[in-house]
Amino acid sequence: MDLFNNLIFGFGVALSLQNLFYCFVGVLVGTLIGVLPGIGPLGTIAILLPITYSVSPVAAMIMLAGIYYGAQYGGSTTAILVNLPGETSSVVTCIDGYQMAQQGRAGPALAIAAIGSFFAGTVGTLLIALFGPPLADVALKFGAPEYFSLMLMGLVAAAVLAQGDMVKSIAMVVLGLLLGIIGTDVNSGVQRFSFGIFELTDGIGFIVVAVGVFAVGEIVNNLGERQERRVLSAKVSNLFPTWQDLKASAGPIVRGTGLGCFFGVLPGTGPAIASFSSYMLEKKLAKDPDRFGKGAIEGVAGPEAANNADAQCKFIPMLTLGLPASGVMALMLGALTIQGIQPGPQVMTQRPELFWGLIASMWIGNAMLVVLNLPLIGLWVRLLQVPYRLLFPAIMAFSAIGIFSVNNSAFEIHLTALFGVLGFMWMRLGFPLAPMLLGFVLGPMMEEYLRRAMLMSGGDPSVFVTRPISLAFIIATVLILVVMVAPSVRKRREAFTD
Amino acid sequence: MPAIRALPLATLLLAASLTPAAAQQYPAKPIRLIIPSAPGGSNDVVGRPIATFLGERLGRQIIVDNRAGAGTMIGTELASKAPNDGYTLLVVSIAFAVNPWLYDLRGRYDPIKSFTPVAMLAAGPNVLAVNPSLPVNNVKELIALAKEKPGKIGWASAGVGSFQHLGGSLFELQAGVKFLGVRFKGGGPAMIDVVAGHNQVAFSSLVQTTGQIQSGKLKALGVGSKKRVPILPDVPTIDEAGVPGYEASNWWGIVAPAGVPQAAVDRIRKELAVVLTAQPVIDQFANEGAEVVQMSQGEFADFIAAELKKWQQVVKDSGMKAE
Repeated sequence: MDLFNNLIFGFGVALSLQNLFYCFVGVLVGTLIGVLPGIGPLGTIAILLPITYSVSPVAAMIMLAGIYYGAQYGGSTTAILVNLPGETSSVVTCIDGYQMAQQGRAGPALAIAAIGSFFAGTVGTLLIALFGPPLADVALKFGAPEYFSLMLMGLVAAAVLAQGDMVKSIAMVVLGLLLGIIGTDVNSGVQRFSFGIFELTDGIGFIVVAVGVFAVGEIVNNLGERQERRVLSAKVSNLFPTWQDLKASAGPIVRGTGLGCFFGVLPGTGPAIASFSSYMLEKKLAKDPDRFGKGAIEGVAGPEAANNADAQCKFIPMLTLGLPASGVMALMLGALTIQGIQPGPQVMTQRPELFWGLIASMWIGNAMLVVLNLPLIGLWVRLLQVPYRLLFPAIMAFSAIGIFSVNNSAFEIHLTALFGVLGFMWMRLGFPLAPMLLGFVLGPMMEEYLRRAMLMSGGDPSVFVTRPISLAFIIATVLILVVMVAPSVRKRREAFTD
Repeated sequence: MPAIRALPLATLLLAASLTPAAAQQYPAKPIRLIIPSAPGGSNDVVGRPIATFLGERLGRQIIVDNRAGAGTMIGTELASKAPNDGYTLLVVSIAFAVNPWLYDLRGRYDPIKSFTPVAMLAAGPNVLAVNPSLPVNNVKELIALAKEKPGKIGWASAGVGSFQHLGGSLFELQAGVKFLGVRFKGGGPAMIDVVAGHNQVAFSSLVQTTGQIQSGKLKALGVGSKKRVPILPDVPTIDEAGVPGYEASNWWGIVAPAGVPQAAVDRIRKELAVVLTAQPVIDQFANEGAEVVQMSQGEFADFIAAELKKWQQVVKDSGMKAE
């Protein structure tokens, strides 16, 4: 049993005292930066890169990887507690996680996020160990047409997200699309909607929009109410999920893990897509979708599992092919170069201790994160008993520090404030925020892939149905449309027969 | 350029005559090094070790100030308006010589007038690599195929004005060919597409391609430097392989706001000469495919002027400027 031997070999490497230490440092630092919005794993790894110079390549990779997936854990904490998404991938957690906290169920929400993440991390690690190289080859089959069809399916499925007023939801998706195309057009270099402002030429950062509409908007909304909000000090029910919570979450965690692994393997999908998809799927599958957005534990369990599986599987192209799927992965490859190891497919065979040691350390790191996070839940929940008049300035300050730290740019703080005001207005007017963010994430990617596919096919749109993977997604999209439209048609028929 | 050359000399005299004591004490406080890209960006990878090791030599901390955005122009504009007392420095790269021709910088900064060149740091050539499925084995065959099928061979690069894009545009102009230019939001995704075979050609940095070349996932046809590179000894230069005169290297250097005291420049240059021989610095530069290049201050000024001229021509002839 080759795999078994390899894993034992990997654990042998990862369990050395030095590597355990660096793994712990990595996940601890990751958790901390995950809590802060803005400052993410990319900046942290870049700044810590020189430290890795003096340690062994294995220890260096273990620590850097720990920072990366540790940040995914930390990001959900503030999302649940104060509606502040610490990382891009934890935006979805805000929707139901924060509502759970409002109802005094912050403890179960945090615990289920940790449990879901751990499960997803375990599966993701196994997947890399078992099928890393073949999966990477499959991922390479995805060109521009495949990605476009996949995202089309995502956007159509997103109609499920629509809650209440359909017109308002569509308006918000379109607004998100428009906000998303601000910046420099990749193909021509033309500036779009940047009004000659340099700070807008790279587009608006996702974290700026998310922190603005969620965290800042919520604060403005709370302060608009006359009475000082009692932050649930009275009715914190229990710290840990009940048996019923666990039962309700099991399915979402498994499905979220599946979705996260799928999107994680594909290097061309961004960080928020896996968690968005999981949220949409759970909402569609739920018997009473009305609970979503009002504190459904499935809406935390699924997306949290999905984003951790996604983060874990993003290592596949990097480890097996030496290809960076994101900036973080590029930096980790850079760390290898500094160590005198040429990144590429040959690393797996030439440096097995690196490959298997890192994989084993990921599982150990995930276990550490659970151990680190579960005891902290009590502490976090107590944080909510801080009077709101003290809590909200602290949230504002942390948001501002985090946003500033991305580009050392005061402009982005102003932009966050602007989105805070807009978010407050939208909330008051009953415009849903999630469709806007989805449009913001998917829109620019769809445009990029559509135009690239058309450019490469010489303007022939049949490319979407002649390539088998793309065709499969198109068929699935049509099926989703049929499934979604059918119930309303049936209802109308029933109305007619009455 | 006599006026520009005279500027450092004038400041030297001024500094020597007015404030000899202050000049000797430089640096009397921490120095700010503006890096006009995000942590992890290429300017950052090169600039950060310089801040660490140069700071040690100078006996003062050098504080890295990442000011990313607008293809390095935000940080560059900021540096151009900083006090010229030697306590603000800026890391520049090839983008410094390209942006003035792609964007309207009037009222913001002038690459020559707003800055005093301090020191060259490093340079790294690009590599012309193709997917092995493309039936060519050398640069001449690629040119022949591209002439046979103009606008059909997929060339993946990062966005307009990026190093990957510039190297390819220069090749198109000098070899008289036209690829199907497909652009990506970053160099990494572009490389993935070429390795996967969705596109066939890339002009990328050494660090992005070497591993893929050594494992046979990409075929290297040439490097964009004047001499072959040690890490790929069998790969000819593009110049010798069929495009005489082709040279495309990314480079990094340090400049200061115009009129910086020459004493400060001299002190920095003296310590940098040592820093640039330190093994950790050399190793970290390798992370960006860069090798140390030392130049005199005058040579560096001439180099910047030559780069500005070269890319002005390429931008103009390739029509890459967005209207």
